[in-house]
This record gives sequence, structure tokens and C-alpha cells, in this order.
Amino acid sequence: MSNEAVLHGAATSHDAHGDHHHEHHHHETFISKYVFSMDHKMIAKQFLITGMVWAVIGGLMSVLFRLQLGYPDTSFPWLEDLLGKWWAEKGHITAQGYYALVTTHGTVLVFFVLTAGLSGTFANFLIPLQVGARDMASPFMNMLSYWFFFTASVVMLSSIFVETGPFSGGWTAYPPLSALGDASPGSKTGMDLWLVAMALFVVSSLLGGLNYIATILNMRTKGMSMTRLPLTIWALFFTAVLGVLSFPVLLSGFILLIFDRNFGTSFYLSDIFVNGVGALPNEGGSAILFQHLFWFLGHPEVYIILLPAMGMVSEILSVNARKPIFGYMAMIGSLFAISILAFLVWAHHMFVTGLNPFLGSIFVLLTLLIAVPSAIKVFNWLTTLWRGNIRFTPGMLFAIGFVSLFISGGLTGIWLGNSALDIHLHDTYFVIAHFHIVMGVASMFGMFAGVYHWYPKMYGRYLNNTLGYIHFWVTMIGAYLIFWPMHYEGLAGMPRRYYDYSIWESFKNFVELNKFISTVAMIVFATQLLFLLNFFYSIWKGRKVTSQNPWGSNTLEWTAPINPGHGNWPGEIPEVHRWAYDYGKDGREFISQVEPIGADESHH
Amino acid sequence: MSTATTATTKWWNGGKSPFNVEYGKLMMWYFLMSDAFTFGAFLISYGTIRFSTNGWPDPNEVFQSFPGLGSGHPLMFVSLMTFILIISSVTMVQAVKAGHEMKKNKVVINLIWTIIGGAAFLGCQAWEWNHLHAEGAWWGHNPFLNADGTQSSTNFTNYFFTITGFHGFHVFSGLVINIVMLIMTLNNTFEKRGHYLMIEKAGLYWHFVDLVWVFVFTCFYLI
Amino acid sequence: MEQSEVVHIEHHQNKNEVRNVTIVLSVLTIIELVLGFMMMKMEHGGTGRMATKITILVLMLAKAYYIVGYFMHLKHELRNLIMTIVVPLALFVWFITAFLYDGNSFRNLRNNYDPHFKEQSTIKATPKEHKSEEGHGEEKKHTME
Repeated sequence: MSNEAVLHGAATSHDAHGDHHHEHHHHETFISKYVFSMDHKMIAKQFLITGMVWAVIGGLMSVLFRLQLGYPDTSFPWLEDLLGKWWAEKGHITAQGYYALVTTHGTVLVFFVLTAGLSGTFANFLIPLQVGARDMASPFMNMLSYWFFFTASVVMLSSIFVETGPFSGGWTAYPPLSALGDASPGSKTGMDLWLVAMALFVVSSLLGGLNYIATILNMRTKGMSMTRLPLTIWALFFTAVLGVLSFPVLLSGFILLIFDRNFGTSFYLSDIFVNGVGALPNEGGSAILFQHLFWFLGHPEVYIILLPAMGMVSEILSVNARKPIFGYMAMIGSLFAISILAFLVWAHHMFVTGLNPFLGSIFVLLTLLIAVPSAIKVFNWLTTLWRGNIRFTPGMLFAIGFVSLFISGGLTGIWLGNSALDIHLHDTYFVIAHFHIVMGVASMFGMFAGVYHWYPKMYGRYLNNTLGYIHFWVTMIGAYLIFWPMHYEGLAGMPRRYYDYSIWESFKNFVELNKFISTVAMIVFATQLLFLLNFFYSIWKGRKVTSQNPWGSNTLEWTAPINPGHGNWPGEIPEVHRWAYDYGKDGREFISQVEPIGADESHH
Repeated sequence: MSTATTATTKWWNGGKSPFNVEYGKLMMWYFLMSDAFTFGAFLISYGTIRFSTNGWPDPNEVFQSFPGLGSGHPLMFVSLMTFILIISSVTMVQAVKAGHEMKKNKVVINLIWTIIGGAAFLGCQAWEWNHLHAEGAWWGHNPFLNADGTQSSTNFTNYFFTITGFHGFHVFSGLVINIVMLIMTLNNTFEKRGHYLMIEKAGLYWHFVDLVWVFVFTCFYLI
Repeated sequence: MEQSEVVHIEHHQNKNEVRNVTIVLSVLTIIELVLGFMMMKMEHGGTGRMATKITILVLMLAKAYYIVGYFMHLKHELRNLIMTIVVPLALFVWFITAFLYDGNSFRNLRNNYDPHFKEQSTIKATPKEHKSEEGHGEEKKHTME
């Protein structure tokens, strides 16, 4: 009976709690409002800005190693002044510096920017606002989630400054490079810090993910059934499920790796001979085991990155095409299918490791199955746009750009998913092109779309549109110019991760192309700085939002005040009466979710 | 209490939990699922390495000592540990049940028994680790031969110490949680709150630790 | 209707249920132990041993079912909750299958193409048996360092 008392009292007591906060939020101190905030909106902004800092660092790293790849023969004396001897010597990025750069670039972009910065930001910001809740289920755990991420960031950042450099064996941290300190300079302290940072990151993502799931399931407002949720929430829900089920496997893999590094075990080690040390006593382990464990997270991870972008794009396309999303249930179904398949296909990253070929063939089958839900989503997006009354806001442009990139990058995935083709293509620039377009740039576009679209809700001001358009077109064209030619390089057999291609006769014909790619990369990076300028300028000086619902959108966040306090709605939480996509219905441009169904309303 | 849950209840319509549980319990369940994947990954790694190795030590030759009785008693000590953990799980169930009935004294007594059980289990584990260590087994050291008499890799002991260690760490944290619950109960925190739902969540965790032991016990000692 | 019953039942059924489940778990454990003792006399790598191992694994799953279902009370929760918890665990099927299959394949690969590996795993290390006792002190010293 006590259980029921709590359950049925829970809704009301939580409301009261929220109201209480709202009334008194003026008394909050600087620390409780901006630093150790428990308001999901503030935590979202913390995630976003930390993610942006990381994006700049990670992006700058890519500029630096593109400098090496594009201009291997040119000397840039300022590099040594800027970075020091370890990273750059005599005007050239050093080999160890290059590997440290690519590794840190990968780790930072995948985990710190596109996982924490993307899903951390928008899950925090949108879930309570769009499901109609005062805050997350546990605001305290939510705060912890950010601060674990922050600590992970500090540790990762510090690894860049240690004497032996950050880890430099690739973001996938395969042993033995990651397991033996003697393997490379970066495998020493840098790797220890890398592991600590990643362990903290896993904790952060678990705390966040559990919270998102509990909030979406338990805290929806009255009338907000699961099939009335905006697709953003569905996508963030599956993202959280993926994280909760796959990150622990990575953690296990890392714990075993830590033992291999420090306690003389040989989980991943066998038959190792180190120059100057001799044969190691470690016998009986399997380096492939680590790859299995890593990719059991690693593959769901790419969907952890991609799904939030998909969800936001669905929402933004529908709002700005002034049309209901096409195939709402099919969209949920395909999200679900992608989430399930995400767990079943990890070994397609390992076709050439000596994976059993028969097992590989099953992984091929499962991998190619992903094309089905992906295609469903693409066609639904295109059909949503079809004959829409499209408003080309910067957010909308980025959303359309996402669809374009997802198609281009997704199609090459079908090539790589075949184990036979993968023998030729693995570890070439073809792979780089594939995953940067479909996962990297596409998700960045989803993130930009989200930022442009929800910026008015976050800060009560608009971003500058002109800068937004410049940002979009340069990034869009630039992304294709950077990554499209890489397909040809990859098909010609140019391997990834090499420090200097100029010494190979077979890659001589790519010298100019590499130069071109590097130049475009720098221009695109500079354009992102324009976006940052726009972002921070607009926080204080942007055009003010004057109406509660600037985009004419149906979802709940636009029923809250322009600058909502902690608790989101000053009075009662609105009740929901319809799904989120009644656009252009019965001659009306949009009908908010809170509007009751009229007596003579047509059926959707 | 039952009026709220009628035949026509639409669980998914919003405004209430679709599962009729508060968020904390939901989060505990999903946390346990993710933890199941942590342990799952460990045990599956162990299986993978065992499958990729030609020989493996026979657990009955390794784990055959009983304190005070010396060696030659395979399975005996681990059975004792298993029963201790099962019994402590039963007392935890009783504590949760007593919590539902708001019987403070019963909660306290059962929690104390659970804590004793947990501590006893940890004690057993400490003895076993110490014993194995004295035999020369440790991370990176495996004095035992394969069942077929060939040289064994160190992965038998590597996995044994890592996984039982990780489980022991869970038992230890469960113990700490239970002690905190006991203190909170004694301080009437739950009486004042009007419910003992915290104990229920602690109970879930404790049973999960028991559950993991079922798997560890089977994988390391039996097969 | 099912749901409303659940809420009622959960407080009444408990009494005998806990006792019964305890007995079931104990019996299952005892059967497992008996099988474990029986297995000691079977030859390594034989079918009898394999069959016993599989039986033990099935019993393990049965124990897990009773612990999760009754001790953790999942059986008496709403069907919705049960499904959200049990269905994702199905991922373990492929998780286990693929890992073990590839582990096994790795062993076969090495046995076929790595003569050293094959050779090492056939040499009987009988003298080591004694060494493990005499080397006892030495091992200990090593780990103490």
C-alpha cells in the first residue's frame, strides 16, 4: 500500500516541487544556477558549450594533420613555436605528433563532441520540455552526469600535455599498442589517462542514459502517450537504450585492458616480442577479443551518435515543411529496427582480423539488413519534403543537408558491409570517407540543425541568419569537397593512418588532391569559427524572440514561456490531446499538441 | 489502494508510470541491466578465451580446500559460499516485505542478517583468495596445470581473480548500501517518509549480486 | 484486469512463495553439485561430460529465473516492465554465440597454422606438478615484491 501511496502521490508532489523551484529561482546563487545547476536546460547548455570547446580542439587537430598530409614537403616554422618540439620539429608535424593528433581527433570527436555534445545537449534540453516534465527524473544524477563528463574532459585534455604525449594508437585503442607501455611513446602515461578519461565518460553516459530512459517512460504529461511523442524523443530514447546496454561492455573491455597494462595479465596478449625487451611471458590471450568487446560498443556507438540527429532532423523537416512527418509509425519502427541491428553487426569492423569467414558472412547479412530501416527513413524524409511549403531557415537547410549526407555516406556503407569488398577497402581512405560523411559530418549537421532550431528556446534570441546561411553553404559544399575525393583515393588503395604518402610512387598522383582536400578542410574549419562567433554573439546581442512559438511548431516546448525558469511551465503542465505533427490539417497551418481535438475535425 | 488500477487503465497514456513503479526503481532495474552487460562481457570474454585455448585447468583440482579440513574437498567450500549468499538474499526479501508492511523492527532484524550474510561471504572469499595466493596463484601467475597435464596459460587465474574480484566488489558495495539502509531505518528516516521503497531498491541490487554469483559459480567452479 | 490483480496479489502471495523459492533454489544447487561430483569421474572432452555441463547450464538459467522472478519480484510486476527488461536480454544470445564461435575458430586457426601453439599444447608438463609446491615460496616472494 505504501508503494501505491507514493506512486499516486508522486505526480503531484513532483509538480509542487517544480513550482516551488520556479517561484524561487531568483534566489539561486551563481554557483547553483550556472555551475552545479540541476536545471536540465542549464545542464544542456553546459554539455553544448563543453562539446563546442572539444569540437574546436578536435577540429584544430584535423587541420594540423591535414597540413601534414597536404603539404608534407613544406616547412611551417611557426608550428614548432606553437606546439613545441614533441609535436612539430623543423616546421613539420612529427610522426609521433601525427599519430597522437589522429588518435585524439577520433576519440574527442566520437565521444566528447558527438556523444556528449550532441545527445547530452539535446537529450537534456528536449526530453523534459517535449514530454511535458518539470525536469529530469533525477536532476541530481543529471548534474553528476555532466560533472563526470567534465572530469573526463579534464583528464583527456591533460593527457595531451604529458611528456610522452597522448595515446597515439588510434581511437579504437587496439592492443598490443594500447596494452604495452613499451609499444610507443603514447602507450605510456597518455594511455593511462585515456583509459581513466574513457571510464569516467562511461559513468557519465550511464548516469545520463538511465535518467533519459526513466524520464521518457515515467514522466510524460497527461495525454502524452508514446505514439504522441515527437520523433526527437523516440530517437533520444533509443539512443539512451543503446548507451545503457553497450557502454558497460566497453567498460569491461577497458578493465581487462587495465589489468593487461598494469598487473601482468594476458587477456589480449600472446606471442609478443618487443625490441630491446625480448619475448614477453604473456601467452594465451587474444587481441581479437578486445576488438570484439570494443566494437560491441563501437557499433552501437555510431548509432548513439546518429539517432539523435535523425530524430531532430525528422522534427525540423516536418515543422519547416509545414507538413506532418510522413510515416510516423514507420519512423519509430525503423528507429527500433536500427537499434536492434546495431547490437548484432559489430564484427563487420573486423572482417580482415582473421574472423571466422562463416561468422563473417552472417555479419554481412545482418549489416546489409540495416539498409532497410535506413532507406525507410530516407524515403520518409524525402516524402515529408515533397510538396511541402518549405521555409529555408538555417536549421532546415542543415536538416536537408543531413539527409543528403546520410544518403551519400549510407550508400558506401553497403559496399563496406560486404566482407569480400572489404578485403580491398578496409583501412583505406574509402572507409574514412564513408564514416566521416555518414556519421561525422551528418551528425554534425544534425547538431547544427538542432542548435539553429532550438536556439530561440535556449537563449530567447535568434542566431544571425546571414551568418547561418554562409555557415551552411560553406560547410555543405566543403564537406563534399573534402570527403568525396577520398573515395577515389581509397579505391586506388591509399591506406589510412599513414604519416607521409609522398614517398610512395603509387600515390604520387594524389599529391595535388591531398593539397586540395587540406585547403578545403582549413576553409571549412574557419567557417565553424564563424558559427561560434554567431553563437556567442547572439547569446547577448542576438535578435530577441518576441513570440512564444516562433516556428509555429506543435510540440510542447513552445508552450512554455520564452525564457522558462526551472520547472519549465509557470502553472500546470499542459495536457496533451494529439500527436506532434498536425501541420496543414483542415486548412490550419499548425495545431499545437495541447489543443483538444475538435468535434468536426478530420482524422489524420 | 486498488481503485487507481482498474481494468481500463491506460498505462501508456502519460501522466503516470506505465509500469506502476516510481522512477528510482525503474532506474535501478535499468542500471542492473547495464551491469548485467558488464558481467556478461566479462564472462563471455572468459568463455571466448577458454574456447580459443586447447587445455584448461580442472576446477575440481584447483578449488578443493576447506578451512580446517585441508585439501581434497572439491566443491565444498564454494557450496558453502553459495548457500550463504542465497540465505542472505532470502533475508533481504524478508526485509523488503517487512518494509512494505511498515514493520520497522522486522526490517532491522532482516537487514542485520543480510549484512552478516554478506560479510560472511566476503570473509569466505578473502580466505579463498588468500589460500590461492599462497599456492602461487595471482594475476599473471598460474601454478595449476591443464586438466590434460599440459602447461596452462595464466588466463585461468587472470579471469578468476578479475571476475570474482569484480563480483566481490559488488558484494562489498551492496554491503555498504545495506549498512546505510540499516542506519537510515534505525534513524526512522523511512518511518518519517512513510515508505520503505529505498530498501526495495537496495534489495534489487543485493539480489542481482546473488544472481551474478549463480553465473560465476557455474562458470568457474562447475564447468 | 490482469494488472489490477497483480497489485492485489503481491502482498498476500509472498509468505509461502519465499519459502518455496528458497527450497527450489537450494534443491537446484544441490542437483548442480551432485552433477559436479558426478562429472569428476567422467573423462575430459567426452560426451557425458559435455551433456552434464549443458544440464548444469540449464539449471543455472532456472536458478536465475527464480531469483529474478520471485526475489527481485519481476514476476509480479506489470507485463510492460517485464517485457522491457527481458526482451533486451535476448541480445545476449547473439553476443554469446558470436563470441564463442569466433573463439573456437581462433583456436582451430592456431592449431592449423601455428605449429608452435599446437606443439605447446601437447607437451605434458608433469614435473611442474611438484614444482608448484616447491616453487610455492618462490612464487609467493615474487608476488610480494
